[in-house]
Amino acid sequence: MASISDAGSFNVVQSYNELIKEDPSISAPVAAVSSLVKLVERQRATTMLELMKIVPEACEQLKKATGNSISLSAGCDVFLQQMARLSHAQSAEECRVALIQAGTEFVQGAGRCRDNVAEFGSPFVRDDQTILVHSYSRVIMGLLRRAVKQNKRFRVYVTESRPDQSGLRAAAELQKLGVPCEVILDAAVGYIMQKVDLVLAGAEGVVESGGLINKIGTYQLAIIAKAAKKPFYALAESFKFVRLYPLNQYDLPTYRSDLLSFKEKPAATIDWQAELSRSNPMLDYTPPEFITLLFTDLGVMTPSGVSDELIKFYLD
Amino acid sequence: MASSSSANAKQEVALSREVPSLIESFITRLKRGKVVEAKRVALETAELLREIVSRSAIDDLATLTGLLRTVGKRLIAAQPRELIIYNVVCRILHNVKEEAKGEGGADEEEERAGRTKSGARKERAAGMGVGGRLEDGGRTDGGRGGYQLKMVVLEVIREFMDEVEGTEAAIEENAREHIHSNEIILTCGRSHTVERFLKHAASKAKRLHVIVAESAPGYAGQAQARGLASANIDVIVVSDAAVFGIMSRVNKVILGAHAVLANGGVVADSGAHMIAAAARHHATQVVVCAGQYKYSPLFPFDDDGFNTVVAPDVAVAYGDGALVGAVDVANPHYDYVPPELVDILVDQTGGHLPSYLYRLQQESYEGAGSRQWWGAEGSGQ
Repeated sequence: MASISDAGSFNVVQSYNELIKEDPSISAPVAAVSSLVKLVERQRATTMLELMKIVPEACEQLKKATGNSISLSAGCDVFLQQMARLSHAQSAEECRVALIQAGTEFVQGAGRCRDNVAEFGSPFVRDDQTILVHSYSRVIMGLLRRAVKQNKRFRVYVTESRPDQSGLRAAAELQKLGVPCEVILDAAVGYIMQKVDLVLAGAEGVVESGGLINKIGTYQLAIIAKAAKKPFYALAESFKFVRLYPLNQYDLPTYRSDLLSFKEKPAATIDWQAELSRSNPMLDYTPPEFITLLFTDLGVMTPSGVSDELIKFYLD
Repeated sequence: MASSSSANAKQEVALSREVPSLIESFITRLKRGKVVEAKRVALETAELLREIVSRSAIDDLATLTGLLRTVGKRLIAAQPRELIIYNVVCRILHNVKEEAKGEGGADEEEERAGRTKSGARKERAAGMGVGGRLEDGGRTDGGRGGYQLKMVVLEVIREFMDEVEGTEAAIEENAREHIHSNEIILTCGRSHTVERFLKHAASKAKRLHVIVAESAPGYAGQAQARGLASANIDVIVVSDAAVFGIMSRVNKVILGAHAVLANGGVVADSGAHMIAAAARHHATQVVVCAGQYKYSPLFPFDDDGFNTVVAPDVAVAYGDGALVGAVDVANPHYDYVPPELVDILVDQTGGHLPSYLYRLQQESYEGAGSRQWWGAEGSGQ
């Protein structure tokens, strides 16, 4: 770990956590890239090899510290790929400067990405529609905000989204926007589906198959939407595209064997309520066949378009 | 767009001669339903653009593409439901740009363009926004002489028109891959592409049985049957209501299209959705024949946005006073067939999956899907 201490004992994880604390609305990949840029700025690597060692190490630290957060890994991968491209530079210094610039542009461009998603997606929201939204997602909020600005009148059902009840936050924001909304129980999705015109979901990550990794409950929502033949649209910035190909729910990097695993528990003293959030997963995987279209900052695409974009970016 | 005011002025000059009357007369013909068939719309739109370019005296690329855009916008505004116009304008703009890029040669202009392009692409793929793409529409191409540029553009449009003209001939070449001897085919509505496709198959395959749904109330299916029967194909006309019943005997459903949307959904003659749904119930393959000029870079936001309602007197005669006074009669011209009911799309180059359509379109249209340049709803926000 000698190379890390060269970086003026800069702690990437700490920097990342500070960024998240400073601005709760920042998304994980953006914060990750932002802290990686800081790392590169602080250190004085004289050889390319050194640089190529420090940055991936820092990425690993970040991933480990956040329990393999999927969107964070996606951000790190974008940064690493950028570095691999820039590694043909003349000197380590030149590469470093270019990398800092690219990373800074990425961070500044992230907000624009969200706006572009909203722009591509907002024509799908029309007057008099009833929209079902799962959990809280900044991109979805961006899209709905734009639709409100365009004077569209629609109603929104928001799932409560246990265990962190992030749906309540979405509802509060929608209320402020003047959009009629109701919070529904996660278990009421099937009950309400008939009244819904379209379903919107954000994404923690979009995988190579075009499937979706998102807040727990998205998968069952998508299944019900498909059964009721309602369009299910997923919204994601393209930096959330990750190079994973999960085959089932238990194939995600966030999988832990102790989740819902019939552990031996001391009889009589079980606090089931506490057990609930401890042993339940926070994310699930929605296979591509349940997704009607993806709204991304690269345009509207079918799930099969994701692999094309990933190939374009990583194999170029 | 970054085009300067002087470019705008030039454009105005280019439009101020007899061009407006050309545009107006085309718009009038569109509105009166004189030009309905997809191929005619495509050819006439291209012809109009060609005429306008050949009459203009524009010497730089930015002004010229600006002119094409302006005319395109006007046509689209006049007939927003006619997807073909939008397709044609987008395609021609795209082809002109491609051509201009290729023609640049190895001078520094080209080098610069190449660099900005790869830069923009990297940026897009990295998820760093589409800023590059939005702006590069206004970049000028100064080096080339005006006369030569005009010739290039006219040539591009000419090529596009040739492509449209040759669509059916190219599509029918695929017939043997999709139709085999002794198959029973079901189709509906009037489509020249499908007619030629089936005739070509009949000339190669041993025996072909075609069932045509009559497509009431316009009875376009009857005209189709007449066309097919003239080539000694074994044709049966059935009423639309009999489609579901007869589907169990059908091997393949072959449909024509008015337009194909970016998600692979198809705008076809009214009644096509019902037939595709019946085919799905019986697990019968649905093949859609459509030329590439019908590929529209738009997504269906709602099912009826691009439909038109035509004169209902074929359903209920105007003479039937008692009924006409008492009820509303709707006679929609098109149907939207969702992509999940379409098995394969056949164009000039062969068969494609509906889910792959968006990619074909991104390759051949400028600003595909973004609807950037013609100021769709939501722009200016």
